[in-house]
Amino acid sequence: MIVRDVICPFCACLCDDLDVHVEDGRVTGVDNACDLGSHKFMTDHRMKGPVRRTASGWEEIPLEEAIRETAELLEAAERPLLYGWSGTCGEAQSAGVHLAELVGGVIDATTSVCHGPSILAIQEVGHPGCTLGQVKNRADVVVYWGCNPQHAHPRHLSRYTTYADGFFVRNAFKERKVIVADIRGTDSTNLADEFIRLQPGGDYAVLGALRAIVRGKGDVVPPEVAGVSREQLYRIADLCKTAKYGAFFFGMGLTQTAGKYKNIRNAIELVDELSRHTKWTLTPMRGHFNVYGFNEVCTWMTGYPYAVDFARGMAFYNPGETTAVDILARKECDMCLVVASDPAAHFPAEAVEHLASIPVVQLDPFPNLTTAFARIQIPVAVSGIDADGTAYRMDGVPLRLHRVLDRGYPDDAGILLEITRRITGGGSR
Amino acid sequence: MILNTGRTIPQGNSVEYKPSPEYGAETSRAFLAPLDLMDLGIEDGDRIRISCGDRSVVLTVSAGDHVPPGTLFVPYGAHANHVVPAATHGTGMPDFKGISVDVEPATDPVRSVWDLMEDLGGRRY
Ligand code: SF4
Repeated sequence: MIVRDVICPFCACLCDDLDVHVEDGRVTGVDNACDLGSHKFMTDHRMKGPVRRTASGWEEIPLEEAIRETAELLEAAERPLLYGWSGTCGEAQSAGVHLAELVGGVIDATTSVCHGPSILAIQEVGHPGCTLGQVKNRADVVVYWGCNPQHAHPRHLSRYTTYADGFFVRNAFKERKVIVADIRGTDSTNLADEFIRLQPGGDYAVLGALRAIVRGKGDVVPPEVAGVSREQLYRIADLCKTAKYGAFFFGMGLTQTAGKYKNIRNAIELVDELSRHTKWTLTPMRGHFNVYGFNEVCTWMTGYPYAVDFARGMAFYNPGETTAVDILARKECDMCLVVASDPAAHFPAEAVEHLASIPVVQLDPFPNLTTAFARIQIPVAVSGIDADGTAYRMDGVPLRLHRVLDRGYPDDAGILLEITRRITGGGSR
Repeated sequence: MILNTGRTIPQGNSVEYKPSPEYGAETSRAFLAPLDLMDLGIEDGDRIRISCGDRSVVLTVSAGDHVPPGTLFVPYGAHANHVVPAATHGTGMPDFKGISVDVEPATDPVRSVWDLMEDLGGRRY
């Protein structure tokens, strides 16, 4: 059987044109997806059923018992951390926020280690965003700053920019100019009409110099800024100013380097400056397929996009204090529920170490490095493969993911609701 | 030298199954400029130890023309994170790029991701 127009649940491009071949409850082939997407559909390394860590190994336990023990651990904890959420759907995220409020815990998403700084900058100076359809149909100049879409979002160029012909850009490959800024040559910089090769950590200065030139104050710019010549900066400023419609995309090259959210604030202010001459927009290249969704769900439920602490009985938000890496590094939480992510692989060792000294429960289809720290792991269905749900694309457009097969796994939203029901004793509290 | 981490296709392909040897092989690679290999007196495929504070990890070296001299690029994952400091400077985000590290040739074997997790108090699955 071929299931058509399937949405890919890997990266936040959420490509919606996949054809998935299913036979005997297994995916046997995927058309139209990139390597990353096909791998996600084809991997078959799922955990069979819930497991519990014992003194010398692992034992299988019934789902019922795993849920009961998780509820008890959450209830007994003084400062539980509920972390992850980017690899699951809005329904589970919403159940997670309710659960965090119920147990007076902290809820944080992988946002804090990817585009958290982008959100901090947006909270300072706003978000001149647009949908990817606008980019595809209108943009004649595209910037990729500090990101490598060829590796992290492999179909971004073919669906929305370099290779995507649009309504007003009839021959994209010829008519669209692509500018890529990076500290090293990558498969993406190879495709650029202009490659801005910056010195590491030079982003803030180069963005500042471009702002100055666009504003007509180019005389303050020295002959070279962080490895980029003044001539190139003028050329780029000119290209951007004369664009009919410009789209600025950026990735972790801006959010994870020194300066963090100040880099992004400078990029937003450059876009603002350019918009005095023509139309420009800015979009963070969100990574996990529904990391944007967590920010939406958490915002409409609590008023804040991530890193929300319910210890005071109300929502409190202070990134740097209520973010997962900080809480773990300070050895502050006494229980951790991990849903749809892998902090042990992605956090600095100093933060991971604390997971070894507290009870950890993980809801995830696959054994991963956080499994090494889990007291209990409950394998769940994979959103978009064997579970339905809603996810938000990197431009904030919500899309409905449909299951293509049934493997008999429970979905994480259902488990979270069941844990909540046990803690409240069935009623609302 | 300056350490930068980032995503790559092989790392992304195996990201759903991190215990796989492919994931560990990819995240334990360090790309250095050929000139820096000469300075260190090592060749493509040799090993280096990178240290930051009191943490260190052994990686396999690959020569990369695209890497600026004085820097090394390591695919995002457990190996690089073994030395990345946890400080977030009040933002929630550690420095995953632009970390100052010491680099020296090494003969010790590259540890698997499970070894690294056990060093931190975890248990292999
Ligand atoms: S670009 Fe992203 S969403 Fe599209 S197929 Fe590849 S991994 Fe899936």
